[in-house]
Amino acid sequence: MTHSISRRGVLGIAATMALGSKAFAQPAEVVIGWILPLTGVSASVGQQTRVGAQIATDQINAAGGIKSLGGARIRLVFGDSQSKPDIGVSETERLIQRENVAAVAGAFNSAVTFPASEVAQRYKTPWLTMGAVKDEITERGFEYVFRLNNKAIYDAREQIDAMDFFKKETGKGPKTLAMFYEGSDWGRSHAANVRKLAKERGYDVVLDEAAPPNQVDFSSQLLKIRAAKPDALIVAFYTPDQLLLSRQMMEQRLDLPYGVHSVGGGTEDPAFYKAISPRAVAYYFVQEDRQVDALQGVRYPEYDDLEKKFRELLGYNMSAYGAQGFATMYVLKDALERAASSDRDKLRDALAKTDITSGPALYVGYQRIKFDEHGQNTFAHGAISQNLDGQRRTVWPAESRAKDIKPIWPVPAFGARS
Amino acid sequence: MALRISKNMGAPQLATKSGYGRMATLLVVAAGVVALALPIAMPDPYFVHSCIVVLLFAYMATSWNFVCGYVGQLSIGHAMFAGVGGYATVLIFSRLGISPWLGMLVGGVLAAMLSVVVGYPTFRLKGPYFALTTIAFAEMIRIWVENTDTFLGIPLNGAAGITVPLVGESWVAFQFNGKTPYYYVILVMLVLALLATWRLERSKLGFYLKAIRGDRDAAEALGISPARYQLVALAISAFMTGVGGGFYAQFFRYVNADRLIGVEFSIDLALMSIIGGQGTVFGPLLGAVLLTPIAEITRGHLGGVLPGLHIVIYGIILILAVLYLPKGLIDPLRSILSRLSKNGRSA
Amino acid sequence: MDPLILGFAVVNGLLIGGIYGGVALGLSLIFGVLRVVNFAHGSLLMVGLYTAYWLQALAGIDPYASVIFTVPLLFCMGYFIQRVIIAPLIWRESALVVEPLSALLLTAGVYLVIDNLALMAFGPDVRSASTSLDMPPIMLGPIPVNMQRFIGFSAAILAAIGLVVWLRQTRMGRAIRATAQNRDAAALSGIDVPMIYAVTFGVGTALLGLFGSLLATFIPITPNVGLSFGIRSFIVVVLGGIGSIPGSILGGLVIGVFEAIASQFVPATSAAILSLGLFILILLVRPGGLMGKL
Repeated sequence: MTHSISRRGVLGIAATMALGSKAFAQPAEVVIGWILPLTGVSASVGQQTRVGAQIATDQINAAGGIKSLGGARIRLVFGDSQSKPDIGVSETERLIQRENVAAVAGAFNSAVTFPASEVAQRYKTPWLTMGAVKDEITERGFEYVFRLNNKAIYDAREQIDAMDFFKKETGKGPKTLAMFYEGSDWGRSHAANVRKLAKERGYDVVLDEAAPPNQVDFSSQLLKIRAAKPDALIVAFYTPDQLLLSRQMMEQRLDLPYGVHSVGGGTEDPAFYKAISPRAVAYYFVQEDRQVDALQGVRYPEYDDLEKKFRELLGYNMSAYGAQGFATMYVLKDALERAASSDRDKLRDALAKTDITSGPALYVGYQRIKFDEHGQNTFAHGAISQNLDGQRRTVWPAESRAKDIKPIWPVPAFGARS
Repeated sequence: MALRISKNMGAPQLATKSGYGRMATLLVVAAGVVALALPIAMPDPYFVHSCIVVLLFAYMATSWNFVCGYVGQLSIGHAMFAGVGGYATVLIFSRLGISPWLGMLVGGVLAAMLSVVVGYPTFRLKGPYFALTTIAFAEMIRIWVENTDTFLGIPLNGAAGITVPLVGESWVAFQFNGKTPYYYVILVMLVLALLATWRLERSKLGFYLKAIRGDRDAAEALGISPARYQLVALAISAFMTGVGGGFYAQFFRYVNADRLIGVEFSIDLALMSIIGGQGTVFGPLLGAVLLTPIAEITRGHLGGVLPGLHIVIYGIILILAVLYLPKGLIDPLRSILSRLSKNGRSA
Repeated sequence: MDPLILGFAVVNGLLIGGIYGGVALGLSLIFGVLRVVNFAHGSLLMVGLYTAYWLQALAGIDPYASVIFTVPLLFCMGYFIQRVIIAPLIWRESALVVEPLSALLLTAGVYLVIDNLALMAFGPDVRSASTSLDMPPIMLGPIPVNMQRFIGFSAAILAAIGLVVWLRQTRMGRAIRATAQNRDAAALSGIDVPMIYAVTFGVGTALLGLFGSLLATFIPITPNVGLSFGIRSFIVVVLGGIGSIPGSILGGLVIGVFEAIASQFVPATSAAILSLGLFILILLVRPGGLMGKL
């Protein structure tokens, strides 16, 4: 295990020394709360995050816990938000009041994260946002709210950046775009960002279509896409709808010269790849908060253990949400070590000073974790992979590409694929 | 509850004089005293928070019961009234700077207006037809709000929902840092709703509604216009639900269509009333007082361990209650009460 | 509008509409005979889908072949739900004039229990089954027709015809119709009403077993997939006329084509609002639906 923060290491030692004999009086465990959608439509995401966080916690405890706290162990408590804002708020109250957590992480759904993180702010309890991308979460001047992952606007920008980049690289690229997305919070806010950026960058949006979640047939919408003849299609759907859409696009041989560009959701869910025929998702571009094909440079033994356990527990390979749950716990561990206390204010101050440049906290694929004055990790970025020969391989940003990887651009029509 | 009853048993001389009516009054007074003293006796914020949630649902279920319980129609669309009230309260405060206290009342009036538009054609329908139509209306409104960013210049903000702008502790803005003020506000709202229901039971309107419920055709033959009285009751119910939606917005400081106008919210209100005892003053309150903590405790203890189990338990309670307590939980409580008072008299 | 696109839309609408109608058949039958609105209808379809999925995942049985398991299984489930959960309520309320609204609540409880038991047992992940049969689309002029959906569509029509013939021609069918018309008279003439009710419920859910197997090849399977069909099934049944078997299919076709064509002009979200509006309108203007009663 590496702790990069050597200057703070000194501080840590100083703190331990100052505490001296009092170290025995330190709590033997630190409780961390998680608010996640463990039931309801987003239950899959909640479960993956939970497993990732639990594996990280087990690793941390097995490696001697929080050393600056005399080896205190981390204990996780979970609250099920059911994706409902009021229940998320009540569960946050419970974790903070009853379980006496040092910090809360969560809650994937923006609609839950928004009011629940306000509760954390009110009780001066650090809140580490996981998964929720709504821009405003870190724009309210709340000093206890942090976010590790991308904002919504970053996601949209990366998709357009990648298209621009491929165009520059090859001299070929789309002129017209179609957008097709799920008609609730996430899909609609993503579409709004893409709409804005596409206009700035000179793309012509020829179809802008939302669909209510949990459809059973997309034939009508595919007809509309076919009629609009876009060069590329931007989609944002959760797993069930994404599965239906991908299957029907293959059945109906709906070709897009510059491919399908998905922003996570269903296309980052490992259960999706288990359920779909590889032919249906060939050449898909997927933007996600994690570099899917291994990390650059060092790999830590923790990762092999993590990936193996994750597969054992859930039956499929590591997901972006599992990775975020895992990384979140290492960010908290780092802050706890530096705070040398489970006091919420001290932990907040330590979190605010986070500057991680190596170690398992970077498992999601960031090069660094450092929060700006709003609590947003400005080094958060996604990566875009293309599905090549059944493997999702990173094609953007270019510096994250493996040597043998080049995007297929434009993508071959269904009829021309072997 | 059981505890309080046994206390009463220890004081039979009271029951001797009073009988069933006094016994019930005593129980209500005792519950009132407990309710008033609760946040002082147990100031733990999470406890008070949970009590507020219970009271909010009790209030909403009582509002639902005001029309559905007495008319015998099942509305699974009451969330649309809560949604109108909640959205109106937040928007009126954030756009016009008008105090949420007033906003809640405006929201209630708007909800009542919507209820007339919805109720006028649908009250002719009976049983499941009525229930399905109320779902359809509420779902139309939910999907529309989720996909509408601005309407006539009003920023509904689509599926993202809208937040209450924070101004800090302020009575005018109905924002408090502590929980206790919210507690007393919702307690007063609940008491008013219970009083309204109590008054309804003894009013001409209540009498007509019961007549309509018993035999619609006979009521009509007697010159009672079912549509008119049902609409009046629905409008009052919608007004109360709308005001409750306003409280929801102020307390959670966020409203979104998916939750506040969702079918599940409507179902919750109906379930609490029915399990507690619809068509009675205290039934919905009883349902909320029992069901909300069950949901909360099972979620807290089981939600993280076995996802889904808490909802399974909830479903089983619902099935058992419908099968074995058709008049609601209030029914056995009443018979216990009257037996106690009889025992008291004979002793 | 481009006539080819319109042709496409109509064909797709008919296919999916027929499937809506087929899924709603059982709902209509159960309501027509028992006057029970089965809120757990979608959940039972979900059970059928998962059964087909697991039979393929564990035993390698093709979803189309799994019909021989899913239909009896779902029949038994329906029979059981009626006998154990709903029957006590019906007998208790038999003296009352009001229609058994509580039955709707009971089935809502069944829906909560089944959906969340599925979540506990199978987890929240999406699954899909696939058939090993090679089924290229058949061409209707220039329009390709998806075979899996066509099979579902044909099964819906055949099931409806079979159901009508069964209700008309067999002893059991006639007993069911008699019970639907007048329960007390049927009981007086020696019909075992509780048994008829349980069989009717069983047949209604067995149809969901059939469609569970047929839809498993193209519908994403999750513990709450029932919701996708739930409310739409109600719309279909009301549109066609509650209790009418041909009405159920007709209602499905109308909704399917209506949504397919509407979707060409407005987003799917607005199309959903429009079909809810259509539902309300039909209930208010023509409460009997497009077709009469059973």
